[in-house]
Amino acid sequence: MCPEQTPIVSCRGLEKNYRQGTIDVPALQGVDLDIMPGDFATLAGPSGSGKTTLLNMIGGLDLPSAGSVVLDGETLENLNKSQLAQLRLDKIGFVFQAYNLIPVLSAVENIEFVLRLAGTPASERHQRAMESLHEVGLDGLENRRPSHLSGGQQQRVAVARALIGRPAIVLADEPTANLDSKTAQELIDLMAQLNVERGITFLMGTHDARVIARSRRHIEMTDGRITADEIRGS
Amino acid sequence: MMETFRILAPLAWRNLWRNPRRTVITLIVVSVGLYSILFFAALIEAWADASRDRALNVMTGSGQIHTQGYADDPTIGQVFPQAGGELLAYLEGPEISGWAPRVRVPAVVQSEYRTMPLTLIGVNPTGEKAISIVPDGIVEGAYLSGPDDPTIFLGQSMVDRLKTRLGKRVIILAQNSDGTLAEQSFEVGGIYDGFSEIEDMLGFAGLETVQTLLGAEGQLSEIAYRVTDEARLDQVGHDLGQIIPELDVQSWKDLSPMAAMAEESMGVAVFIWLWVMFILMAFGIINTQLMAVFERVHEFGLLQALGMRPRMILLIVTLESSILVGIGTLMGIAGAVATIQAMSGGLDISFLAEGAAMAGVGQVLYLKLDWGQLIELSIIVWLLSVAVTYWPARKASKFSPVEAMAHVS
Repeated sequence: MCPEQTPIVSCRGLEKNYRQGTIDVPALQGVDLDIMPGDFATLAGPSGSGKTTLLNMIGGLDLPSAGSVVLDGETLENLNKSQLAQLRLDKIGFVFQAYNLIPVLSAVENIEFVLRLAGTPASERHQRAMESLHEVGLDGLENRRPSHLSGGQQQRVAVARALIGRPAIVLADEPTANLDSKTAQELIDLMAQLNVERGITFLMGTHDARVIARSRRHIEMTDGRITADEIRGS
Repeated sequence: MMETFRILAPLAWRNLWRNPRRTVITLIVVSVGLYSILFFAALIEAWADASRDRALNVMTGSGQIHTQGYADDPTIGQVFPQAGGELLAYLEGPEISGWAPRVRVPAVVQSEYRTMPLTLIGVNPTGEKAISIVPDGIVEGAYLSGPDDPTIFLGQSMVDRLKTRLGKRVIILAQNSDGTLAEQSFEVGGIYDGFSEIEDMLGFAGLETVQTLLGAEGQLSEIAYRVTDEARLDQVGHDLGQIIPELDVQSWKDLSPMAAMAEESMGVAVFIWLWVMFILMAFGIINTQLMAVFERVHEFGLLQALGMRPRMILLIVTLESSILVGIGTLMGIAGAVATIQAMSGGLDISFLAEGAAMAGVGQVLYLKLDWGQLIELSIIVWLLSVAVTYWPARKASKFSPVEAMAHVS
């Protein structure tokens, strides 16, 4: 972390309680966290430690019970649903565990879709999507629907889609969980390369030791609290 | 808006074909529903037209002229002078396609065996043929040859009941204009059939013959007329009312209230059928669209996570419904148009002849394509069908991204 830099993400006193019957179950208990531009950070911890909940809060997919999240200067709790959707479109790229591509669109259309939502002109849109596919090593597969792509290929498309809108940060939740070890390693290499070459900020919730080993910052969570935040240098 | 449409339309189209079976079922529901509405509307309209045409063509015409008191006392006392001057000029003018002067009185007809009540009508055969189809119903003998024809033209049913036949003579008794009883022997010169509503009641003789019998030379009790343009019926009635304010001018709507009611109730019947069919269709559409939405909860969460606004989720589901119902609507229109065109030569309902005659309808219904009504009903059904999908669409737009993405279909 560089003290002069403004964080991309700043969480303060973040709490999230889920109601189960009559009981409030705390998922996050006072999380303070800054993610700096260019971070390649992993968020690890046992199941139920709050990794996914924290990623959801940062991504504006869910709102905290208390505390605040500021993403690239925007305080998320001040935004309505439409504004949150716009913020996700403009500033966040998501990579989910289960690929999550739109099944009726081809690989290139899945990537283009984000640009369509952003109102990018058609000519630029297709060109950028093809370049993005090339970047993630999927040349020649642009017209395949998700059902005709392997898990690793689908996840690469998801990465390309996450990056196409030039987001401030990419949030990845267990990106390698459904991949075999070779494909997982390739994906980790790809994300690390994009981080180094393009300076894209990554925050990844993961159990995968290989991902953690490649990260330059490692945050450990237990019971909804950050218990360790280790900078490993570049 | 166009950009939003460009984003959503291809996605909506492909989503429709994710489950072809469900899409096809919905298309069948919409198309069959709309088809039945459009075909029913054409059938009802044909029925109403047939009912009106029958009423108009048998005796009534588009309208009639009587004295003011004729409706209450239709006797020889209620007569007016034969048409002349301005009235004659109007009747011979462009607004009127045909007219028939009549003397019409209650009478008694007597054969060797029976005596029956009868309405005796003195007619001018030329005028009568211009507005009535009764002269075409001849089954024996000949129609009246002129206003001075001395024979009588009777219905088959009346002839049977009188136990008389063509060429035999019957006696007509009626009240004279001076109040005395007039009687005259007539040869049965012609017999008509196919008009059960009048066969037992009406006998026709030459106009001048009847005028002479009743001592009412130059007098009429009725003028029936047919307008050139049905849309100008009220205007013609108004014009005639101005020309002959002392007389009573009535349109067929007043003279044949059943036929008028059939025409007026046609719209109500179509409207009721539209709602019955639409409610059935709505259940099908809502059910399939809800299924389509609940199968894709996870995907709606993903779309929101990618930056799609809730309003666009609502739009995409509505667009899918609009396209689906739109295709079903076009299929329904195509089916209805093909069927109506195929039946435009006439739908034979002779198997319902007795009932149809009782309802005052001919044995053939002529279905017509009314494009205005067809488009109007189709748009109503399309709009209503799209409107009912607002509920599933709104549901889809209300999912929170996190909850939706946690949903497993």
